Amino acid sequence: MRNEIELEGIIEDYLNGKLSEAERTAFEQLRKSDPIVDHKVVAHKVFLESFGEYAQVLDLKAKMDRAHAQIDVETLTEELRPHPSFIINMWRKNKAAIAVAASFILLTVVTVYSIQQNTKQIGSVELMSREMAKIKIDQSSLIRIIKAKTTPNAPKNTKPANFGGTGFALTANGYLLTNLHVVDGADSVYVQDNKGDSYKAKVVRTDSQYDLAILKIIDKSFSPLSTLPYRLKQSGIGMGEIVYTLGFPKDDAVFGEGYVSSRSGYNGDTTQYQVSIPVNPGNSGGPLLDHQGNIIGVISAKEKQVDGATFAIKSKYIQEALNSIPNDSLGKKVAFNKRNSLQGLSRNKQVEKIQDYVFMIKVYK
Amino acid sequence: MVSNKLSSSVPTDREVVLGILNDSEDALNKLYTGYFPMILQFILNNNGDEDDAKDVYQEGIIVLYNKIKGGNFELSSKLKTYIYSVCRRIWLKKLSQQSKKTSNISDFEDVMAVEVDLEHHEEKDKQFDKMQDALLHLGEPCKTIIQDFYINNLSMQDICEKFGYTNTDNAKTQKYKCLQRLKKLFFQV
Repeated sequence: MRNEIELEGIIEDYLNGKLSEAERTAFEQLRKSDPIVDHKVVAHKVFLESFGEYAQVLDLKAKMDRAHAQIDVETLTEELRPHPSFIINMWRKNKAAIAVAASFILLTVVTVYSIQQNTKQIGSVELMSREMAKIKIDQSSLIRIIKAKTTPNAPKNTKPANFGGTGFALTANGYLLTNLHVVDGADSVYVQDNKGDSYKAKVVRTDSQYDLAILKIIDKSFSPLSTLPYRLKQSGIGMGEIVYTLGFPKDDAVFGEGYVSSRSGYNGDTTQYQVSIPVNPGNSGGPLLDHQGNIIGVISAKEKQVDGATFAIKSKYIQEALNSIPNDSLGKKVAFNKRNSLQGLSRNKQVEKIQDYVFMIKVYK
Repeated sequence: MVSNKLSSSVPTDREVVLGILNDSEDALNKLYTGYFPMILQFILNNNGDEDDAKDVYQEGIIVLYNKIKGGNFELSSKLKTYIYSVCRRIWLKKLSQQSKKTSNISDFEDVMAVEVDLEHHEEKDKQFDKMQDALLHLGEPCKTIIQDFYINNLSMQDICEKFGYTNTDNAKTQKYKCLQRLKKLFFQV
């Protein structure tokens, strides 16, 4: 018994490193030779470690209890208890999610708002009359001048026109429709047909509301056209409808095809269509036709900063402009043919027929 | 509301780690009072009361304490997240042991993976319970003698006087007997 107690004392001292060098070596020798002693050492080591940890945790718990005593748990509990109100509960539980959702909504609102700001077409409208002076025209206008000289009654064009646009026949006897901005402020107006013949014309009527002008060919050399192939479409046309135009952005007719992209024009102008069709200065006043060869509008402008946003005055307003003109001022009621001879023809046949009725407007200022 | 309170009284993570490594009771105090409301809120909103909160929170702090003391402490996320995750895991386990539903848990903070640390902790916790049981079965005066000697670091002389033994040898014999019984109880259980 006594020995055992002493042995344990030695084991404890050994484990705590309290033995002197000599004692330690002697004890390790004993431990090696006696498995029972060795076992006791191991068991005691495990026990002491466990007990040490136990003591540590106990100590920590005591400290924490002291800290806990400082906390006013009751008040906190009242404060943090699940609130009877569902909404406040929701808010507490999902604070983060709600915050994320709210910021997302805010962001969306801001984005949508700014997009709306942007889509309010800020691009200014560029009227499609062509400033000839800026475009070098030499050979083709020379040819025309030469041709003009061969015709004795032809106007004496000594200099090329400075502005140009497009117009199309309203009647067989020489009434043409174009944009007002093409002929506005003109000293003199000449029109040139598909064959290259120029005729003098005068502005007989203007409608500033719809930007339309009616010209009359007053040249004696002009012989009346044959019956108009197209007719004015009275009803509106839907989005996506394939349309085409013929115009004079250069000195020869240019065909352009596109589609109606919006039923309203610049800044929501309901008198116009927005058409996705390539146009250039000189296309102004050109007819816009649907696939059956009905005139559905007049090309008038395009948006400067936006590609493929061309605006065309709706045919309905052409009719209105025509109707507002007193019959006697035109001499004879301007009326489109009721029959459309283009219907059912292929596109190139239609264009072939139409091109005789589309004129280049040359304006001298 | 709560988060404001937290941020005003909570020490920085670095302060806590250094404080624990240096056995600073002040640091432990700050840590304890700093994050308790967070866990209290979590437990209260998930089928628990303030006593549950205290138990779970203290266990969580022990896990953190051992991790820091263990020396291999590399906190990859905030201390707050670590404590929350540990306590959450402990509470979920308790809930499932009470076969209460653990599906619809209301969370208030981010959660990180702490399974490895907790497995380690459970092991230690078992040892703790074993020791506690063993001491309980040991009875008086053995329990006090052992605690005085091994925990309170009283000398044999002090114990001899405290318990009125006639000499230290008697006290030593008594302590030896107590220890043998305790060991037996501890290794047996």
